[in-house]
Amino acid sequence: MKSLVRVFLSIFIISFSLMGVAAWLNSSQGYSGGNTLTVYNWGDYIDPELLERFQKETGITVIYQTFDSNEAMLTKIEQGGTSFDVAVPSEYALAKMKQEHLLLPLDHSRLPNLKHVDSHFLNLSFDPDNQYSVPYFWGTVGIVFNPELTKGVDFHSWDGLWDPKLRNNLLLVDGAREIMGMSLNSLHYSLNDTNKAHLQQALTKLEKLAPNVKAVVGDEIKMLLANEEAAAGVVWSGDASEIMDQNDKLDYIVPDEGSNLWFDNMVIPKTATHVDAAHKFINFMMQPDVAAQNAEFVGYSTPNKDGKKLLPADISGDERFYPPSEITDKLEVYDNLGKRMLAHYNELFLQFKMHLK
Amino acid sequence: MANKNRFGNMYLVIVFLVLYAPILYLMYYSFNSGGTMHKFEGFTLQYYKEVFADTRLIIIVINTLVIALLSSALATIIGIMGALAIHQMQNRRVKNTLLSLNNVLIVNPDVIIGASFLILFTMAGIKLGFYSVLLSHIAFSVPIAVIMILPRLQEMSPSLVDAARDLGASRLDVLTKVILPFIKPGIYAGFFMALTYSLDDFAVTFFVTGSGYSTLSVEIYSRARQGVSLSINALSTLIFLFTVLLVVGYYFIMRKANRNGKKEPAAEMGVPR
Repeated sequence: MKSLVRVFLSIFIISFSLMGVAAWLNSSQGYSGGNTLTVYNWGDYIDPELLERFQKETGITVIYQTFDSNEAMLTKIEQGGTSFDVAVPSEYALAKMKQEHLLLPLDHSRLPNLKHVDSHFLNLSFDPDNQYSVPYFWGTVGIVFNPELTKGVDFHSWDGLWDPKLRNNLLLVDGAREIMGMSLNSLHYSLNDTNKAHLQQALTKLEKLAPNVKAVVGDEIKMLLANEEAAAGVVWSGDASEIMDQNDKLDYIVPDEGSNLWFDNMVIPKTATHVDAAHKFINFMMQPDVAAQNAEFVGYSTPNKDGKKLLPADISGDERFYPPSEITDKLEVYDNLGKRMLAHYNELFLQFKMHLK
Repeated sequence: MANKNRFGNMYLVIVFLVLYAPILYLMYYSFNSGGTMHKFEGFTLQYYKEVFADTRLIIIVINTLVIALLSSALATIIGIMGALAIHQMQNRRVKNTLLSLNNVLIVNPDVIIGASFLILFTMAGIKLGFYSVLLSHIAFSVPIAVIMILPRLQEMSPSLVDAARDLGASRLDVLTKVILPFIKPGIYAGFFMALTYSLDDFAVTFFVTGSGYSTLSVEIYSRARQGVSLSINALSTLIFLFTVLLVVGYYFIMRKANRNGKKEPAAEMGVPR
């Protein structure tokens, strides 16, 4: 009995002293106290130095929390329990949050730095007049390929994917909108097309792609491509930049027919308790030098046109990630097609997947 | 016979290789200056420096340890009481029902426990953070503690208690001087089981964290979206070495205790029966 009491007492003492250490570390970092701001962002999606700088400039301490998928973030915000002051959903999640009244409208008079954002990326279909959101990063869907293994295949058109040379050597991301959209684009239709005959055509075309497809995979596509398990893959540009960081033999291209344009956006959820600080933070992130530093750290494309000018030329001049206007004009944002149409897209995509061996 | 033995040994070696290879692989690359996991370029301690410089990560590690220690200690204490209560139950039917309810909680998927806790806490208006994580960890550890302690109780001969009572021991004496010492191995086993469950729990914790409070499993998972950085390898290596140290320490303490007391060694090692 005595030894039991001793053991449990020492466990409690150890954990309380550890708690003390944590509290001390927290306060030395300024994480506790009233003047805070809770930011909910994707993992590794900000330069930590910027958080320190924001704290120094405004005296507001940022509590930084991360999530790994839009769905996870949505659930946490919907349920409440924690007050997130700033969150960073992708555009389709943003549309959903708007529908479910989970967002506070932004006060544009408190966001003077909005003028630095490229007007191409403002006032888009998922959030007219940027009532609820400002863009954080953007990107495209395109093709990562290994020039050595795909010699003679021209990826300037989506049709390059159908080249018989790529037999059993192509990876696709597991997304109905992405893959159906790519097929629609290759037929010169909009990737928001709701015409059932067009969609059927897209499916027929996809089924012809089947012999080339090695696998339809999730996040592991990055690792597989970087390890040269396949000669080419259809991925998001953010993933592409990471893959190319790991393996510089690879290249990325957005085909000429057009493609998807995606956004991650800063919003203020309804549960926010520090609305003023949230505006300050969003405004701070739109400051050109901040946006530039962040883009350099994260590696995604910044929508901040004045920030882009501050980037080293080899980044801002990289047409793969900052495509020229001939291509950006053809890029499309996913519209919210409604539940039924989305189900139809999923159904067709599933048919395609079943078609694969 | 010797042949048979060799086959057995080989099998054992293969099993251990499979178990340890990923960990060794991970440790090896934590020293890679190349920054990725596919080509080893040179030796560096840079990622270890990064770990120690990252205060936020260290706070998260401490959080994880505090939650694990506190929740498993509290859960063990609650579990002792629960096991005693179930053991003393006279009605067979009620006793079996309680036991099955306890077992259902163990096999219940973590995701469901996590989601229901999230709903409960938000409905009750409890702020998500340290306490919500602690409470849910205690909750899923209690059944584990109970199931580790009960077998020891059932093993105990009832005449032991009777004899103590006959010799004039009070109820409290019986509990503290007879029962608890007898079930001590079960208690330790329950505690360590709960500790490991709590340390690596992701599903439940993910649902109930909030307000900047995070544990290691949740943090590593959300960082993995950008590819796991080698500093995570470095941290994992440190934690692994720390666990090895704990196990070795535990082994020596037990050996010393055995030499002094000559108690049942198997039970003392915390092997559940």
